[in-house]
Amino acid sequence: MKRTWIISVLAASMMISACSSGNGQSGGTNAPSTNGEGNPAPEPPTKISWVTPLHHAEVPDSRIEELIEEKLNVDLEIQYIPAATWNDRINAAMATGNLTDIVSMTITGGNREAIRDEQFWEIEPYLDQFENLKKLKPEILDNTRIDGKLYALYQGRPFSRQGLIYRKDWADKLGLSAPANLDELYEMLKQFTENDPDGNGQQDTFGLADRGDLVSGAFNTVASWNGVPNEWGEQDGKLAPAFMFPEYMETMNFFRKIRENGYINADFPVTSKTDQQNLIINGRAGAYIGCMCDVQSLYTGASQLNPDAELDVHNRVVGPSGEFTVLSGPGFNHPYLFPKSAVQTEEELLKVLAFMDSLMTPEIANLLYWGVEGEHYNVVDGHAVPVSDQGKLDREVKPYNPLEVGEPTTSGRLEGKFDYAPAQKAIELFADNEPHVVQNPTLTLDSDTMTQHKERLAQIITDATYNYILGEMDEAGFNNAVERWKSEGGSRMIEEFNEAYDQLKS
Amino acid sequence: MSKPIAGSSWIRNLQRNKWIYVMIMPGLLFILIYKYIPMYGLIISFQNYRPYKGIMGSDFVGFEHFQRLFTSPDFWMIFSNTLILFGLQLLIFFPIPIILALMLNELRSEKYKRGIQTLIYLPHFMSWVIVVSISFVIFTVDGGLINGALESMGFQRINFLLSESWFRPMYILQVIWREAGWGTIIFLAAIAGVDPQLYEAAKMDGANRLRQMFSITLPSIKPVIVVLLILKIGDVLELGFEHVYLLLNATNRQVAEIFDTYVYVSGILQGQFSYSTAVGFFKGFVGLILVMGANWLAKKYGEEGIY
Repeated sequence: MKRTWIISVLAASMMISACSSGNGQSGGTNAPSTNGEGNPAPEPPTKISWVTPLHHAEVPDSRIEELIEEKLNVDLEIQYIPAATWNDRINAAMATGNLTDIVSMTITGGNREAIRDEQFWEIEPYLDQFENLKKLKPEILDNTRIDGKLYALYQGRPFSRQGLIYRKDWADKLGLSAPANLDELYEMLKQFTENDPDGNGQQDTFGLADRGDLVSGAFNTVASWNGVPNEWGEQDGKLAPAFMFPEYMETMNFFRKIRENGYINADFPVTSKTDQQNLIINGRAGAYIGCMCDVQSLYTGASQLNPDAELDVHNRVVGPSGEFTVLSGPGFNHPYLFPKSAVQTEEELLKVLAFMDSLMTPEIANLLYWGVEGEHYNVVDGHAVPVSDQGKLDREVKPYNPLEVGEPTTSGRLEGKFDYAPAQKAIELFADNEPHVVQNPTLTLDSDTMTQHKERLAQIITDATYNYILGEMDEAGFNNAVERWKSEGGSRMIEEFNEAYDQLKS
Repeated sequence: MSKPIAGSSWIRNLQRNKWIYVMIMPGLLFILIYKYIPMYGLIISFQNYRPYKGIMGSDFVGFEHFQRLFTSPDFWMIFSNTLILFGLQLLIFFPIPIILALMLNELRSEKYKRGIQTLIYLPHFMSWVIVVSISFVIFTVDGGLINGALESMGFQRINFLLSESWFRPMYILQVIWREAGWGTIIFLAAIAGVDPQLYEAAKMDGANRLRQMFSITLPSIKPVIVVLLILKIGDVLELGFEHVYLLLNATNRQVAEIFDTYVYVSGILQGQFSYSTAVGFFKGFVGLILVMGANWLAKKYGEEGIY
């Protein structure tokens, strides 16, 4: 007994000393060093740190980074975080005060509270000083506003890239044309499954390859064709979530039917994007609904296994209403924000913004997006044509793409042109989608409940939707889930959004 | 170790044994720095913690987060899921390494034994992502190995991956496949430490191999089994976030959601650190109670226990 006491006293005294020395040290290393090294050069390079998501397996070759540093006289420190762990890592960085000068981050959930709490610079007053930044599209900047204030720059994205990619050779063989409405789509999926489109005498193909992602997989796109609003829509003058619209139920029925009949991979709720794409590539499935931009990589894979495989893209599929509507994104990728913890003075902010401004010159924009001319791309008729070595592009250029500011129309970056015709067509169809997009009306509206419980509440509906499609749940069961959603915070969310919506309208 | 001297002051004791205390210093320091000091962070479970305000700057809210947890409609579902998975680990998984170790011990060829040992350790070094991916390929309905076999034998296909009733068997089978071999290490070491004279004596008395196993090997390693059992119980709620999260999907959530996955979705993903910490705190508390209970039981039945 006595011995234990001695040990614990010893332990306690050591803890105290360890604590105090530990604190002393960590206190001193807080301030980020922003002054340049003692460089004899006339103007030392500005140090700029940037944390950005990495959508590829490896951190890129640093050549383009070095070129930019040289051209703009900056000292760039880019921190890459794998896109899959993006959100939690940003949260952790915010918790430990380790944010960089420029942070690519989402502006939903807890981040919104931090922004509202003045942790980031409001940049509206400064934008006019910058020749390029002031060209950014106001309608997209507006989508990033919080309480009407502007904190973020953006990388532009086409509003909607959603559409259908299908096996053209299969469709031709079966005498099918691109589906103009949902019934024709159903027919296509059915025939792809039942009528042996690959002609090997076996019933070993099926219609739609989908993955466990309602939002960027097939479901939300088909829903938007069917007339379901984008997340939220107006019903009798009030905002209501998409799943309360009868069209949502119809869309679920559509999926339930194609699954019952085996026109879709039965395991789709647990299928990954890679497995989904492999189903198209190895010729088991004939249709893919999602980003039409995927046609290039799907074709690259499929043509290696089967040189006769032909793909095509298609966007206009209409629902019962007869009017074409399609899901839309907010028009930007990750917004760029400037935390006050890293950018401490107005002077520093102006330097960082000047850097962002220079990224919007055609020269730098092309470098970030297409790489080095003559090596990664060639200019043909005023368009950039990337070289065919996809591996090289993935290694040296692609990971820099999420650093782009603006879009071709504002930065003067070259538009792309693809040798592969369907990929080129896909770009044209993005533009064709644009007048028909359905925006999410709650994008700039605020709801505390949404901020706090978004994921948990969304999960109730996502689960119910899958269970309904899989036939594990009937309509009453789905309605119970909706009631549960309401009682666990959904009703409050509806009220809060409507309040904000009414304020906006008045 | 010197005997405690009756009536002497602890300073004298300290002086006499100072080198021993110096020697345990690194271990103590490790535990202090990495286990005790971080506990300071538990404070945030009583706060409305905002990362940018820091622990000192955030407002205290008392037991609000605990209240939210206990009144959450999902609480009992999560609690019972966690306990059931734990029970499966204890009842089904725990005995398997012991049985394996006993079987390995009976092998006569040393070479053969070493070979098998190496082979059964291997799965332990595969990450859960790989284990779950492999079983996905084997069990999927679209062209999976098992379903193909079932169909060719004239049975119905079974959707193992999207079913509530198959989640627990899948979970425990994967745990056994990955960990059973690795778990034998300590038991084998314990068996190796049994006094060979006991076996010789037993042989003289005419005990066969089976008799020896039950009357000598098992009783000799019983203290080790008990200690490991208590430690295992201490890990009660460490069911492996990664593993369960990978298996979790819309159709099995009712049986598969455990504290770790719940914390991830409703806490980490939304940046609600206080709530996550409160749940973690509760989890640790349950673990503590179970360990103390198990230890008390072990002592009551005349075993050593861990403290």
